Amino acid sequence: MTDTAPTVPDDRAPRGVGARLLRKEDDRFLRGRGQYVADIRLPGLKDVAFVRSPIAHARIKAIHVPAEYRDVVFTADDLTGIKPIRAVSGLPGFKISEQPVLAVGKVRHVGELVAMCVARSRAEAEDIAASVELDLEPLPAVHDMRLARDPGSALVHEHWGDNVFLETNFEVDISAALDAPIKVTREISTARQCMAPLEGRGVVATFDHRLDQLTLYTGSQMPHIVRNGLSDCLGIEQGCIRIIAPDIGGGFGHKGILLPEEVCLSWLAMHKGWTVRWLEDRREHLSASANCREHAYNITVYADRDGRLRGIDCVATVDSGAYSSYPFSACLEAAQIASILPGPYRMPAYRCRTYSVATNKCPILPYRGVARTGVCFALELLLDAVAAEAGLEPGEVRLRNLVQPQDMPFDNITNKHFDSGDYPGALRRALTAIDVPAVRARQQRGEPDGRLIGTGVSIYCEQAAHGTSVYAGWGIPMVPGHEQATARLTPDGGLELRVGVHSHGQGLETTLAQVAHEILGVDPDKIRVILGDTAMTPYSTGTWGSRSMVMAGGAVGTACEQLVARATRIGAKLLQLAPEAVTWREGRACGPNGSVGLAEIAHTWYRRPQDLPNDVDPSGLEVTGGYKPVRDSGTFSYAAHAVTVAVDPDLGEVELLDYVIVEDGGVLVNPMIVDGQILGGLAQGIGTALYEEMPFDEAAQPLATTLADYLLPGPTEVPEPRLFHMETPSPYTMFGVKGIGEGGAIAPPAAIANAVNDALRPLGAELMQSPLSPHRIVAAVLAAKQASSP
Amino acid sequence: MKAASFNYERPKSVRDALGLLAKAEGEARIMAGGQSLGPMLNLRLVQPPLIIDIASIAELRTIEHDGDALVIGACVTHADIEDGRLPDVTHGVLPRIARGIAYRAVRNRGTIGGSLGHADPAADWVTTLTALGASVQLTGAAGQRDLAVAEFIQGALQTALRPGELVTAIRIPSLSSTARFGYAKACRKPGEFAHAMGAVLIEPDKVRNRIVIGAIDTTPIVVNDSSLFGGATTHLTQQFDRALADRLLMQAGVTDPAARHIHVSVLARAIAEATA
Amino acid sequence: MTTIQLTVNGNAIEPTVEPRTHLADVLRDQLDLTGTHLGCEHGVCGACTLLLDGAPARSCITFAVACAGAAITTIEGLDEDEIAAELRTAFAREHALQCGYCTPGMIMSARDLVLRLDDADEQAIRVGLSGNLCRCTGYAGIVRAIRAVIEARRQRGIAAVIGAGRTSLGPVGSHPNTIPTTSPSMPVMTDIKLSSGAAVATLDVPDVIPAKSFDASFTVNAAPEQVFTLFGDARTLAACFPGATITDMPAPDCIEGEIRVAIGPLAAAFRGSARIDRDETNLSGRLIGTGRDQKSRTSTSGQISWRMVPIDDGRKTRVLLTIGYSLSGPLAQIARDGLVRDLASRITTTFAQNCDSYLSGATNQAARDQPQRLNAVGLLLDVALSRLGALVRGLRKP
Repeated sequence: MTDTAPTVPDDRAPRGVGARLLRKEDDRFLRGRGQYVADIRLPGLKDVAFVRSPIAHARIKAIHVPAEYRDVVFTADDLTGIKPIRAVSGLPGFKISEQPVLAVGKVRHVGELVAMCVARSRAEAEDIAASVELDLEPLPAVHDMRLARDPGSALVHEHWGDNVFLETNFEVDISAALDAPIKVTREISTARQCMAPLEGRGVVATFDHRLDQLTLYTGSQMPHIVRNGLSDCLGIEQGCIRIIAPDIGGGFGHKGILLPEEVCLSWLAMHKGWTVRWLEDRREHLSASANCREHAYNITVYADRDGRLRGIDCVATVDSGAYSSYPFSACLEAAQIASILPGPYRMPAYRCRTYSVATNKCPILPYRGVARTGVCFALELLLDAVAAEAGLEPGEVRLRNLVQPQDMPFDNITNKHFDSGDYPGALRRALTAIDVPAVRARQQRGEPDGRLIGTGVSIYCEQAAHGTSVYAGWGIPMVPGHEQATARLTPDGGLELRVGVHSHGQGLETTLAQVAHEILGVDPDKIRVILGDTAMTPYSTGTWGSRSMVMAGGAVGTACEQLVARATRIGAKLLQLAPEAVTWREGRACGPNGSVGLAEIAHTWYRRPQDLPNDVDPSGLEVTGGYKPVRDSGTFSYAAHAVTVAVDPDLGEVELLDYVIVEDGGVLVNPMIVDGQILGGLAQGIGTALYEEMPFDEAAQPLATTLADYLLPGPTEVPEPRLFHMETPSPYTMFGVKGIGEGGAIAPPAAIANAVNDALRPLGAELMQSPLSPHRIVAAVLAAKQASSP
Repeated sequence: MKAASFNYERPKSVRDALGLLAKAEGEARIMAGGQSLGPMLNLRLVQPPLIIDIASIAELRTIEHDGDALVIGACVTHADIEDGRLPDVTHGVLPRIARGIAYRAVRNRGTIGGSLGHADPAADWVTTLTALGASVQLTGAAGQRDLAVAEFIQGALQTALRPGELVTAIRIPSLSSTARFGYAKACRKPGEFAHAMGAVLIEPDKVRNRIVIGAIDTTPIVVNDSSLFGGATTHLTQQFDRALADRLLMQAGVTDPAARHIHVSVLARAIAEATA
Repeated sequence: MTTIQLTVNGNAIEPTVEPRTHLADVLRDQLDLTGTHLGCEHGVCGACTLLLDGAPARSCITFAVACAGAAITTIEGLDEDEIAAELRTAFAREHALQCGYCTPGMIMSARDLVLRLDDADEQAIRVGLSGNLCRCTGYAGIVRAIRAVIEARRQRGIAAVIGAGRTSLGPVGSHPNTIPTTSPSMPVMTDIKLSSGAAVATLDVPDVIPAKSFDASFTVNAAPEQVFTLFGDARTLAACFPGATITDMPAPDCIEGEIRVAIGPLAAAFRGSARIDRDETNLSGRLIGTGRDQKSRTSTSGQISWRMVPIDDGRKTRVLLTIGYSLSGPLAQIARDGLVRDLASRITTTFAQNCDSYLSGATNQAARDQPQRLNAVGLLLDVALSRLGALVRGLRKP
């Protein structure tokens, strides 16, 4: 249970950094007045439906369009002047995939766009799409990343000669570990998943001839990046493009991509002059758009008898799908594995080889936690195997290897710079809360219903808001620099904040207002946060990588500090004091004998300039401030998750009996919102652990194309955890905040799998594959029974 | 994800519905609450030229007593049964099963007749009503006939419904006060269609057991004698012959051992409940 | 188009709708009531939940025409509603929403639970909400908010109402004696318009590597050579094959035609071509075919290999079959192995029966002259093309 202290603040309650301020955005959502892309209403709006490939890999022999639809159906041949989507990485050896916005020559995954059909309604557009005949010559499909590197495999991109986007290798003295007394090796895999925000993608495109500007409404986490990509593909100046991202119905990474659909609809608006709309339906979302997180590990951990790590040796493969998606590229996920696998653990030796493999599946995108969920799953399962081998409690093995608080800041073996924190402290609290000895005693007693009890723990770190120095190395189309925010006082003393990141549920309209309130003292009710519009906000790479609170919060803080300085100078003029004699307190410029409020300062500046002397600072009450943390290698939030489960070995059902999270996210701007992020992340982590899987058959056909097959956790699958906070400020950021958006989703699969394996240990069964479905659990139990019977 | 075009008729009576059905010569689909057909239409997996909507036909939204049996109109909803808007002749079995079907918003429109007519072997009513010995009233131009649910269901999505016929009611025999019912299903989450399902009816008065294994890829397995208990009539939980149940599942085409294990375990739980 | 009468948030209106348009689209596109959200359009996620005659229902799988005469309340209609107001306060206090997309549907189901649940039992609330998915919050705040509202109301002496007060039987929203006005001529696209001159499928039959295959065998009361001859005659073979129709035979061993399969409401007609290879010395052969169902955009390829083994001193024949097939496209993406396999095995059973009947002379003439007639007399395949995934139910084998 989280802290349920009264959260309705009165007028004197703190509303700045650290306050549980209720969200400014809630009321419109609660009344159904949010405005998502599908809610945009423009005159003459037409709907678009796409003809998509039903086959994973095929040569396009012909596309037959009925004569009566020739002027409303468009194929690649019609799309003049459009360049394919290219998401290149600068890492050596990266192979480039060009993703045509409508298929050319071949189709490379089920759901790839082949033609677009325009009509008065989506239903009619789908009718037209159904009338378009595709003559496809099927080719052998690359359906399994583990077979994709075999000689003789079919090739997704023939001219590559193989199916590997990128291979990376990182090594520190692995030979030193090979003589370790404990050596455990496992094959570990995680399912392909769909991010499944409740709102799918959506695009509305229109052309404004007065402004000579394409306006694209799109449900994007990164409108400025979409503009970059669109400008490249369409070959037009950025000034001719305005991207508006209205309310976003959840993102989690799914809305951090330049879509071929965005390019297609832009082309229609520009070349046909139509106002057009495409709304991703759930089948498109699940089967066609972009999936995530299909990892395979062959991993060996070396340790001494006392459980101390001697080294890790790993080969990791990620199924990157058919194309490199913009802007994160096809290789970010796999290559990241090599750098983040060791995490907060100390070890003298390490080797990791990674492969980003192309298959005939839709592309992948970084999903909440990116590679960390898989990495955490692999490493934490192996640490439990080491514990079993060493005859130690799993918690003890971790305590012996975690970085100690006195060693902070800490550069780990892959040179990740851990800014702060007490990892063993978090773990100890989690172990105490879950009460491991009580679980062991209960295991001894046995359960009256025949279920098996187990407990598991996992630890992760979440590198957040990592910036230029990290991303420059990837060489991908997007490198974050300084984040900017504009703070503008209105003549009535209100404040407008303009930021280039976007909120898709994180409550940035509230938390950024809290930051501004903290510094400027403006009533949060009088602060408007403007997001999601390239015409109204400073450039930003957008919301991803748990960066918005650190980066945009820092930028808002910086802009407000500069605004304070300006308002103080104007206030000093009004108080007829020297600026040095005036201080800023609670929204007022205060002198020794009097003060003047922000509203009066603003009113005077805008409406009564005659009241100010001529030598007043002329720069006014609108400031764009820029921000980067002192060090941009990222903030490191972390947590220990501990869970107790009951496993039914006959039905394979897993019940989460108790779930404990001890989390350190640095200084929390709004603890209520942080709790919400962690609880929501936990739900997705439980989905990853137990429910979510997009399987493919040998022809690379996706097999879970409805929510009846792709199971999202519901209210009965997600228990309320016991949530405890630690607060180690980041030494590098404004207020000491750290990014916390992803962490909740990272640790649960590992903790739950460890608990299930703990429960099944007496039966000799072990699961190394997520999700831990009932069928997998029963199959493992039966296999163990068979193995143990003579 | 929008349905293909269809024509729509909303007859006022069963007679009118049958007339429309006959006129359509097999090209029409009957829709009651539309909670199974609706998704299939939206996904364009089904593209009938004509939908005949029977949900508003008053005579299908009634109940009658027939001796000690209850005759439930085909368009009575799961929520009607859940909420007790009709008498219960099953000592709580029907409301309990209804409560576990899909979600409340679906149960408010989904009907018992539609569910049976759809004949999904994983549907709760298919297994439960088979175990309860219910029968289906089918009405066609030639008149009415009754079929036991076990005979009506002929396979996955297959029924004994003849062209031009309509499911008009379900006849539920009342359970004696000594009858015992056990039910279990394996679902990963509420509302999900079951992966395994077992229903057990024990009627000491009639010296009769009926055991149904549902949620397999075909017609449910029905065992009407005590063979699953080695002929025993007492201590059934202890006597349950798991190996025989496993063989029956194998014969029914459930080749995966883990799936069979889950089915047998679910059935064991239904038996345990019925004999508790 | 059909004109229906609806009461939406208390206002009587008469929209004209296509029968295929679901209620949510009518509210959103015709009435600009965009608070009703679409999350899946197949009845699972709950974002589109609204009140139909006061009870929660899915507006994405309920067609507007089916609601003629009904009273509809959308989230926009709950501004002044007492329970909704209490829920809004509690939702904000408990941080029960993040992106807000599931929120309108969540409020609808929450309101129904507040009305119906006797007490604020957490598990009952969770089960009651299980038809509403939220991807952001982890549900904790939502459950707390609903508990708080129920507790407060019961403390104020407001009792639960069984069934939220509904007394009549039958689907909510479907009103007896309200008949929509249908304009007489409705253009319904019953057949996909094919572009002229387009090939229905690839005519040359490439070798296929089936994704799935299994073995089957059956015995017929005829000599191996006799059976082998039957298997070599494309017309006869097609006549025995359930649901198959030959439209052309460009060469003796090449067939063009169609295989129809149907189960329940699902139907597909795979049009394509096949060829037969024979090996007389081994009394073996194979049929390879590919076909496509344009309506569902699903294609299939398959191979049936056979070998004749004499039994009973050559008076009977054991026919050993290996049946392989691949399926791709939407039907494949929603089906699962067991069902398609079930279909294939049922095809095989019927095929074996037909072969036996043919060889025993029963349908000899009919098959030779009019292969299609076999369909008409009941061999039209009526087993599952697909069990439609868990949408219809069931068993996913990882």
